[in-house]
This record gives sequence, structure tokens and C-alpha cells, in this order.
Amino acid sequence: MDNSDIHSLAEFCLKLIETESPEIKCSDIFFEKSNYINIEIEENSIKNSETGEDNGFSIRVINKNGSLGFAYSNKLDKTTIGKICRVAIKMMKVATPDPDFKNLPGSFKNYPVVRGLFDNNLKYLQIEDSLNYVNDLIKICKEDEMAISQSGNFASSYSKTYIFNSNGLNVSRKETSCLISSNIIVKDKVSKETSSGYERQIERSLSRLNAINVANLALEDAKGNLNRKKIKNMNVPVILTPKGVISLILRPVAAAINAETFQYKRSFLVDKRGEKIGSEFLNIEDNGLIHNAAGSQIFDDEGVPCKNKKILENGNLLKTGLLHNSYTAGKEGVESTGNASRSSYISIPSIGITNFIMKPGDINFEEIIKDTKKGIILNYTGDSPNISTGDFSGLILHGNLIKDGEVEESLNETMIGINLIDLFQNIDAVSKEYRVYGAFQAPWVRIKSVSVIGGAN
Amino acid sequence: MEISDELKEIDENLINQLDQIANDKAEYWDIRAEVNNGTSLDFTNQKSKEISSFEIINCGIRAFKNGGWGFSVLKDLKRESIKIGLQKAIKLAILSESLTKIKFKIDQNNSLIQNYESNRKKNLEDIDIDYKINLVKNHEKIASDYSSYVKNTHTLYMDGHSQTLFLNSFGSNIIQDLSFLRLFCMVFTNKNGATQSSVNSVAGIGGYEIAETEKAVNLSKKTAQEAVELLNAKSPVGGKLTVIADSKLTGTIIHEAFGHSCEADLVLNNESILAGMIGKKVASEKVTIIDNPSMGQSKRFNLPYELFGSYFVDDEGIPSQKTIIIENGVLKNYLHNLETSSRMNVPPNGHGRASVSSERPQVRMGFTYLEPKDWSLEEIIEDTKDGILCEDFQYGYTDPTTGNFQFKCRISFKIKDGERKEIMRDVSLSGMILEALNKISAIGNEKTFNYSVGMCGKGGQHVRVCDGAPYIRIEDVTVGGLN
Repeated sequence: MDNSDIHSLAEFCLKLIETESPEIKCSDIFFEKSNYINIEIEENSIKNSETGEDNGFSIRVINKNGSLGFAYSNKLDKTTIGKICRVAIKMMKVATPDPDFKNLPGSFKNYPVVRGLFDNNLKYLQIEDSLNYVNDLIKICKEDEMAISQSGNFASSYSKTYIFNSNGLNVSRKETSCLISSNIIVKDKVSKETSSGYERQIERSLSRLNAINVANLALEDAKGNLNRKKIKNMNVPVILTPKGVISLILRPVAAAINAETFQYKRSFLVDKRGEKIGSEFLNIEDNGLIHNAAGSQIFDDEGVPCKNKKILENGNLLKTGLLHNSYTAGKEGVESTGNASRSSYISIPSIGITNFIMKPGDINFEEIIKDTKKGIILNYTGDSPNISTGDFSGLILHGNLIKDGEVEESLNETMIGINLIDLFQNIDAVSKEYRVYGAFQAPWVRIKSVSVIGGAN
Repeated sequence: MEISDELKEIDENLINQLDQIANDKAEYWDIRAEVNNGTSLDFTNQKSKEISSFEIINCGIRAFKNGGWGFSVLKDLKRESIKIGLQKAIKLAILSESLTKIKFKIDQNNSLIQNYESNRKKNLEDIDIDYKINLVKNHEKIASDYSSYVKNTHTLYMDGHSQTLFLNSFGSNIIQDLSFLRLFCMVFTNKNGATQSSVNSVAGIGGYEIAETEKAVNLSKKTAQEAVELLNAKSPVGGKLTVIADSKLTGTIIHEAFGHSCEADLVLNNESILAGMIGKKVASEKVTIIDNPSMGQSKRFNLPYELFGSYFVDDEGIPSQKTIIIENGVLKNYLHNLETSSRMNVPPNGHGRASVSSERPQVRMGFTYLEPKDWSLEEIIEDTKDGILCEDFQYGYTDPTTGNFQFKCRISFKIKDGERKEIMRDVSLSGMILEALNKISAIGNEKTFNYSVGMCGKGGQHVRVCDGAPYIRIEDVTVGGLN
């Protein structure tokens, strides 16, 4: 299916909807076609090679009372498309009215320029050309004495998206992405204890991938978690690695400033806009316009131009610090921030981040560790905070004790508990180094004092 | 059973052509072609958020040669596309084979030619959309009206019908026709600025009758009631405690912390604490753990439909069956797909499952449960001096390489001198699973045996699962909370 086919099908849909249902206020059509390559490693050996494609569309119709119907399919023939339009209208007719639904976006004159979101090398990538990356992963694991196994993958995708709506919006974009992941298992020769470490890199262009680096970081991660010890209860500073910052600061803030969560009052930050909720070291922005970045986009999944938004400045939650799609923006009487997000054509636009960034500080992370007499470094936890209360209590899956400024033994059965507002207020150091994981960018961060529950009591 | 037009395209003639394409180039191949449709009704605060309907086709073609797999995914079922798809998969398998260090063969299995259709008393397609909408509206109203503390309600109704054709080079030709329904309810309450929530769901394989069972009808009320009760709950004090876990929590621990380690793909990848442990004692001799995804298991719970985790055949054409994982504390079997069973020289046991036909089958659980013993719940509580009774869970996870687990419970009660005391929230339990299985000091009787439903994620795929267990008591569990 080429461009002209999709344009004529979209026109056919919009006309059909208008004729079939006079009470329609607005509608949109989202087409997506994509293809991908995936090579998987198991037991540190190539196991599976895969290629695939997906083409599909969805139709959203809203009537004058704000009732919304939605339907989708991946059968791209005219008969099915007509049927799906009618099904969407049927769904709209049984939906409840919603006066908060103001309108879908109109057309926009200008879209930002963001470079490096599309790489021709990826669009035309042959699976044979991606083997180097996989072989690099395998080599790092094979050559290490302690590594006993690895699972991981290389994946790339190309997609083209078209959005049309009844307000005259008509946009399309093409993008590529590629990914390397590595999960390495290590075994201590003496204690026979095993541990695993995980790392991944997501990029828009192939030349930026560094498989050796990814595997080395996974390996380092795995080794740092061997010979775990139980500790006693204590109240000490906790240093979050970039992965720890993503789980305990960036993801929770992103969820809490999602305008939908906010409007339903399911966020611990409700009523806190315009207030100081963290120390001066807490600076966060959502920036969709960074060249080459995984989370960047020219426009969101409703066709609204993306932009850069400050969320938290010196610990202050800005009054404008919410992420909106057209629905939540209309409900609040503001402009959409360009954060409408669909997992694919099968979903109604919800709200998502672009590149979600905690601003780095001005000291080295080694200095932060050196400056910590007794404390804990938290790399990852499988737990996530309760977004409606901000409470967090969780198990440290990868973490180490810090003694006299040195990273010492790894931790076993150690839990921490803190409310996120306390955590934000207690940030007393942020490193200048940072890491990028897909759409997140995070530095190392120290929390002055956290209650730690050890397994040795 | 009426076979959909799209699947009828794949006939004897095409199968012969596919056999010729594969000829001596692939040692094994299979094709899954699936036609899906369904409805999703998503309400929040008594307003519809998403009322949607879909029709989706998925097709995945796999080829295998001497340790290398190739997989090709397409989105239409045209004869030409399928032939090209198989050629691509074979090419990819040859590529994988040229690079893989792990060489093995897939053991030949008996071919199976059979059509299966799940029972349904009320066809989902025959129920009018207005009727389904009213059901959801009614649940939303019950939850909203339950108490003035209720601030947010969320009800999700999903139904679906899938017809999947499975073909392989052993000559199997199977159609599995399943319809399912899932009703999910979430309630948020707020009192003096503090927010609490509860979640429950009912799901099964069958027709609309699932939504009309007593459990489904009471779903929103139960959820609202729990969310209100939790407003008075206190945060626990951390430490080592005796824990009594209900069937939902125990089932989840059995599934998450133990069950995944029994998946033979993780065992082969050195990611399981159970590698090399077959025949060894891994738990207290009171412990027997089974996985049985075959149809008919719901009779044990007097359900008029099949369990959500059940299936007739897995996604590699192997019939679902009962597998004993632990018998009286001794590890007996892992769960297998075609690859792991071939490599470990055991028969496959029907656990090769994929979320949809466009994904590759992995080793997955179905209905995993701990067999009940002889304690009544009252006896367990009376026999406990100082402990905590934990019901239901919010989430949990485990590091499979170490067995370190963590579960966040939904509702807990302090147990003091054999009596149930005050309610507590956000209790989290952690420990090492093999230590915990050895510290089980009481296992409840058949009366305390129950099941729960869920969608289990692994490698980006979510499949329908159930777990089951009686109430149990575990000694010396690390309990954490905010205080």
C-alpha cells in the first residue's frame, strides 16, 4: 500500500463517517505500517532470526455530546475499512456523553525540525548486516572468565505513520529505531553464587549502537552483585545510579504529571503545582526536540507538534508542568503539549513522555561516593512507588554497601522505604555524568537519609 | 464449528506446496494463522473512556534447522504471502544455523489432526453491545455508590474470540477456537488526603455466562469494600515474621517466585536456581506443585466455564496435560516446549505458548498450583502466636538467578496470640524462594483452596494464566513497610 492509496482510503473514511452519522463532531484516522528485524541470543549463541511486518489502522469518532467510539483492524481492504468505520460509529452511539471532550486538533502551519529520527541504513537493513552487533555481544561474554551465559537481542524497525482528521489535519512521518540488549549471567568460581546484569541501548540510527559497551556494562552490573550479604537496619544516605533514578524519580514523576492521572486525582502531586516539592537539585524536563534521540518526534500521535517543556525547576513543580493530549488539554482549557501517545494503531491516544530528562549537576559521581562515609548504592529494584500516595517500599535487587567512600559488598534481602516527596526534598547531590536509556536521561543522585531494612535482624 | 473464510484459504493444496518448499531445506516448520475479534469497554467514573471493537489477523511462520530458528511474521493470509513467508523463515533458519554454537534436532512427535472448540453457553457475538455496556455501567454505579470515600472507579470489560490454525511438518493440522471474557474492576478511595485502592478481576474461557456468575456480579462491590477497609489500615513495622498467606498470594508466589524457575528455557540459559536439581529435595515434604492447563480443571471450583489459563493444545500443537513439578518436596519435572524437551531428551509437556501467532512460542505456565493438605484456616490462625495474615497482592517479582523474591500484599491483618487483629496495608514480603518453600509450617485444606487469574509477562509477551493454592503459613519471612 503506497502513499496515494492511504490518502484516498482516509478520504473515503472521513466522507463515509460524515454521511453515515450527521451527529459527528470530529473523527481521526491513524495508519501505521512497519517492518522489523530481530535476532535473539540465548545461551550466548544466536538462536533465532526474525523478520516481520505490520500494517493497520484505527478510527476514532466523537459526536457532538463528546461520546467516543473506536475501532481498528489490520485488514486493509476497502470493505473492511468501511465496516470498521461503521463499527466505530456503532460504538460511539452506545458510549456515554462527555462534555469535557472539546475537539481534536486542527491543522498546524509549522512543525519543528528534529534531525536524526530516520536512518536509511535501517530502512533497508538486511538481517545479515546486523550480525556484527550480535557477534560483539557474544564475544564479550565468551571471553570473560566468570560469565556463564547471556541472553539478548538486536532489533531494528522502520515505520511510517499517517494521521488524518476531520479538522483538516493531514500529516505523516517516518522513523527508524534500533536496539541492543544484553543480560549476562556470571558465577563466582569459589562461592558458586550466580547473578545477572542487564543493559540496553536504543538509538534512531545504526551507527550510534555500541554492542561492546552494552555487553561490558551488563557484565559489570552482574559482577557487582555477587556474594551478597545481609545487613542490619540503618538510616543512611542512598545513592541512586541512573537506573535507580529512572525507577525512583523519573518514571514516578512522569506518571504523576500525566494530565489524565492528575485530572482523576490519582497522583501524589495533585494540588502541588506551583509548590516546591524537592531540593534545588531536582530539575526535570520533557523534551521532544532533541536530535537523534529515541524519544524525539516531530508531532505526537494526534498530529500535534512536539516541544520542550520544563516540569520541575530547582525543586518547584511548575504550574505548566503537566503532559497533555488534546482531550486533557481541552478539559483544562489549555493547549495540548504534544504528548498524545499510542502504543500502536490498536490504541486510543493516551499520554506519554518524549525524552524525559533529569538535569545533571556539577560534580563527578565518584566524588559523591567518596564523600559518603556510610551508605548504600541502589542500582535497581523491581518495585515501583504507589503513584497515588507517593509511598515507596521495595527490595533492592542490585545494590551495594558504601563504607568510607568505597563501594563494598552487594546486598541481599535489603529493602528501603520512603515517601517520594521526602526523597525529592532530601536530594543533596547530583552528578554531572548521566546515562541515556531510551527516552530517559538520568544522572547519579544522592538522597541524604533513607530508612533501610536489612535481612540480618 | 464454523471455520472463518480466511483460514479456509489454507487448504490441502497449499499445504502440499508448503511441504515442497520446505522439502529438505528445513528440518521442521510450523505455521500459526489466527483470526481474532473482540470488544473492549473501558469506563472511568461512570463515563466511557474507550468503547472499541477490533478484527485482527496474525500469522507467524517458523522454520528450524540444526539448532537455528527462523521466524517470519505476516499480516495477511493470502496463499502467496504464506508461501513467501515460509521461504523467508527457511532462509532465516539457515542463517541462524550457520551462526549458532548449540546444535540439536527437534524430536519427531505424533501428528495431531483435530478441531477444538471451547464450550460457551452464551455466544459473545450474540449479546448486544448495549447489554454489555449496561453491565459495565451497573458495576461502575455499585462501586461509586458504595461509600462517599470512593473517589475513582474503573471498570474494564474485554471479550474476544480467536480461531487459530496450527500446521506443522509432522503433519499436524489443528484448529483451536476459544472465546474468553475478562472483567476488571479498580476502586480508589480517599480519606483525609490519604488514597487507597483495590483491584479484582474475573476471567475465563467461555461465553457471556462468565459475566453472570456470582463472583462476577459481586466484583465491584467487593473491590469498593476492600478499598474502603484499607483507609483504616496502618503501615506495618518491618522485621522477621511468621506469615499466613491466602490462596491468591500463595498462588502468585508459587507462580512468580518458583514457577518461572521451572521453565526449561531459563534452566538451559543458566537463569534458573533449579538447574541440575531434578530428583533433589527443594522444598518441605509437605509441598506438591502441579501445572495442569488442560480443560476441565474449573470443576474443582464449581465454575460454569473453563479456567482462564486453560487451552486444548499449546502453540506448538502439543495437547495440554498435567505435569507434576514438585512431589512431596522433590523436584520431578520442568515445563517444556518442543525445543527444550528435544534438548533435554524428555517428552514435550505442552508449555510452548505465544501471546499471539505473530510471536514465537516460549516456555510458559498454564494453571500452576500448590496441592492442599489438612489445616483449616481457623486452625492455622489459632496456632500462630505472633504473625501477619496477608491477602491478595499488588505486584511481585523475582530474580530467577538468585531466587530472591519480593511481594507487595494488598490487605494484611496482624495476628496476635491466635487472633486476627488490626488491618494493615502495603506489607511487603521478601526472601529466597527455596528457603521459603522449606519453611512452610502449615498447608491449608481443600476448603481453603482457591485460584486466581492473570496475564503473565515474559520476553514482552503476555499470556493468560491461572494459579491456585490453599492458605499456607511460612516462618521467618522478611517483612518491610514504610515504618
